[in-house]
Amino acid sequence: MIAAWKERAVLALALSALAGPAFAQSEGGVKIGVVAAQTGAFVSAGNTIGAGVSLAVKEINDGGGVKIDGKTFKLDLLNRDDRTDVNVAIAAGRELVNDDNINALYGTESHDFSVSMTKITGPAKVLQFTGNSSLGAILTEQSVAPGGPLHYTFQTEPPEFQRSGSTARGVLKLLGKEIGQPLKNAVVFVADDATGQYLSEHYVKALEANGQHVDLIKYPPSTTDFTPLLTRAKSLNPDTVHFWYNGDVTLIAFPQAVQLNVAKGYFLFGVDPGVWAERKLVSTAPVTLSCVPMCWGAPPSPEAKSYFDRYFAAGAVKGVQSSVSLLYYDYVHWYAKAMEEAGTTDPDKVVAQIEKMKYQGVVSKVPLYFDKRHRVTFATEVCLVKPGTSDKFECAVEEPPAEPPPGDNAG
Amino acid sequence: MDLAKTESLDLPQAEPAKGGSVGAPRLTWMERAIVPAGVFLLLIGLPWLHPGYRLLSLAVSTGVNTIALCGLAILFGQAGIMSVGHAALMGVGAYAGAILARDLDMSFWAALPCAALLAAAVAGLVGLPSLRVGGHHFVIITFALCGLFTIVLTNGGAFTGAATGLDIAPIGTVFGVNFSKLQNLYLLAAAFVLASIGLMRLVMTSSYGRTLRSIRENETLAAALGVNVGLHKIVAFMISGAFAGVAGLVQVYFLQHISPDLYGAFPSVYIALMVMLGGPRMLLGPLMGAFIVTFLPEVLNLDPIDARIAYGVGLILVILLLPGGVMAGLAHLYLSCRRCVVRS
Repeated sequence: MIAAWKERAVLALALSALAGPAFAQSEGGVKIGVVAAQTGAFVSAGNTIGAGVSLAVKEINDGGGVKIDGKTFKLDLLNRDDRTDVNVAIAAGRELVNDDNINALYGTESHDFSVSMTKITGPAKVLQFTGNSSLGAILTEQSVAPGGPLHYTFQTEPPEFQRSGSTARGVLKLLGKEIGQPLKNAVVFVADDATGQYLSEHYVKALEANGQHVDLIKYPPSTTDFTPLLTRAKSLNPDTVHFWYNGDVTLIAFPQAVQLNVAKGYFLFGVDPGVWAERKLVSTAPVTLSCVPMCWGAPPSPEAKSYFDRYFAAGAVKGVQSSVSLLYYDYVHWYAKAMEEAGTTDPDKVVAQIEKMKYQGVVSKVPLYFDKRHRVTFATEVCLVKPGTSDKFECAVEEPPAEPPPGDNAG
Repeated sequence: MDLAKTESLDLPQAEPAKGGSVGAPRLTWMERAIVPAGVFLLLIGLPWLHPGYRLLSLAVSTGVNTIALCGLAILFGQAGIMSVGHAALMGVGAYAGAILARDLDMSFWAALPCAALLAAAVAGLVGLPSLRVGGHHFVIITFALCGLFTIVLTNGGAFTGAATGLDIAPIGTVFGVNFSKLQNLYLLAAAFVLASIGLMRLVMTSSYGRTLRSIRENETLAAALGVNVGLHKIVAFMISGAFAGVAGLVQVYFLQHISPDLYGAFPSVYIALMVMLGGPRMLLGPLMGAFIVTFLPEVLNLDPIDARIAYGVGLILVILLLPGGVMAGLAHLYLSCRRCVVRS
């Protein structure tokens, strides 16, 4: 009996010796975590994060994985639903970071959730990529320096003064051309919440830097009847009305504004031309749409078109915020490339590598790089819907300003 | 007040059956002790069961809610006054802790009495005019408190961090115990939960608790007997507010980031829902309510929309079938079973 066991043991050892070189080709995985709303109120933004990261992980793994120092690693994706609840988001983050020992985390869709998450990823030296532009309020040269609390946090969206600047330039260019007269007065509608407050202070400055007199109207986030606020806006005699920032809410407010004939032209932030066309929406007034960061309904480059084709072919939903996936997709590829070039998964060395790298992604025509506050720079696409049509668009991608306008804190 | 006495226990005494005969002998000391002892051991021993960071983190959230619910249980379960503004009172404690830490470098421990007292003071200020009317009016006023509180926070500029909120560093190390570790933070939250339940029991079994119950049962009669109804209602709301303030302080040190959204009308309604589901008149009702709403949907992987539908249906069922909440239902189920066993 013992002899038989010995024989089996020797045979097993011999087999494992033969199999050894084959196993050495793949040295386990690099764990990537995603925390985003797959259910609950934020699902339309949240599900794009998981879908974008999943596509990038699949492409990298199908391409052979990540080659680090002569060894090949597959990416293991661990997807968690935060259920649009900060307590669940924190619990999921702690599980991924402390139990599953992930190397990098992508998400979340909410400013508050993302900030709380940095308190977990930072001490554990887990890289966190998040698209919330409002993180710019806490990303400083000191906080992202080695040893700083946000050293491992990266904002995958441009500083808000750049996104607002790029958007304002595109909107005014397209609407000015369509309306055919100089635009002077603007009213900005914005949700009175964390994101809305942060965004509006930059967008107002961007419009003013482009010669506009701006009145700001804040609406409670749960507003559905905009009539009283729109009536007030009409009394200000605006040339243009700009609706920020929630695409779903914007589509509720916009028809009410057109009905009241509040302005000569409109801008809807975060509504993709694809959604406009799919819903067969028609406006009698000129309206511009912008996407975060580029539109799947009117991709500005062959690379972007190819990306969205692959994204939707993988089963992702065509929605108002589908393009948000691009705030995460490129950065999985970038992280993988950084590990390859650093020759290690060591978080400090990978962060140092990312800080000095330039990466050519889908989201930008020029290579991406993180500035000294761990923020990227790229332009935002704006499209004009030809009045009376639902599928005829004229789009512009205006470069963002290099410097913030007067009075803007460069957030 | 015999009825009130039985309500203060999680395993009520066997009640006389209809017709006056006693259905079963009195509960033994072991029967009385087994549930509290089991809960105590589970609460303290949870980290040693290696539940993983996800469940431990959810347990801290459950604990935070339980602390606030103990206060609400005193207000609603004992005095019969429902508040749907408790999230705002939690917010007072949370923001007090964050602002005191930022501006005065005050530690968690030093901020603890401040958070409790400030939340109690705010409750007193709100209660002073509104408890004179009572009933549904008080519910509406506390609901409005949440709306007002979030507006003040959102427009509070740099002082409140506006809509972006405030950040805070972890509690840190005290006597060699590092509270930035989740296990230790959990034990701290568990200690606060046990202390809250202990304080709740103290109120329930004291003469003050009996006074509150007399107000709950018949306000006019209580006043006729010389009870200062108005004063006791305000004090009960202030005590309840102090619990909420402590809960908010623990929450801000757990999340390390707070914003107005956490303390609006919707979270307040959830807190009211929890106390009704768990059982406001039972000692372990708050813990059960927080467990059902905070912990169970995540463990059962319920979609949030499905969970909300389930809460609505559950609340209707509890009101119809278990008016004392789930804990009271379980206690009565035990007593019924026991009675059957004794009879057989």
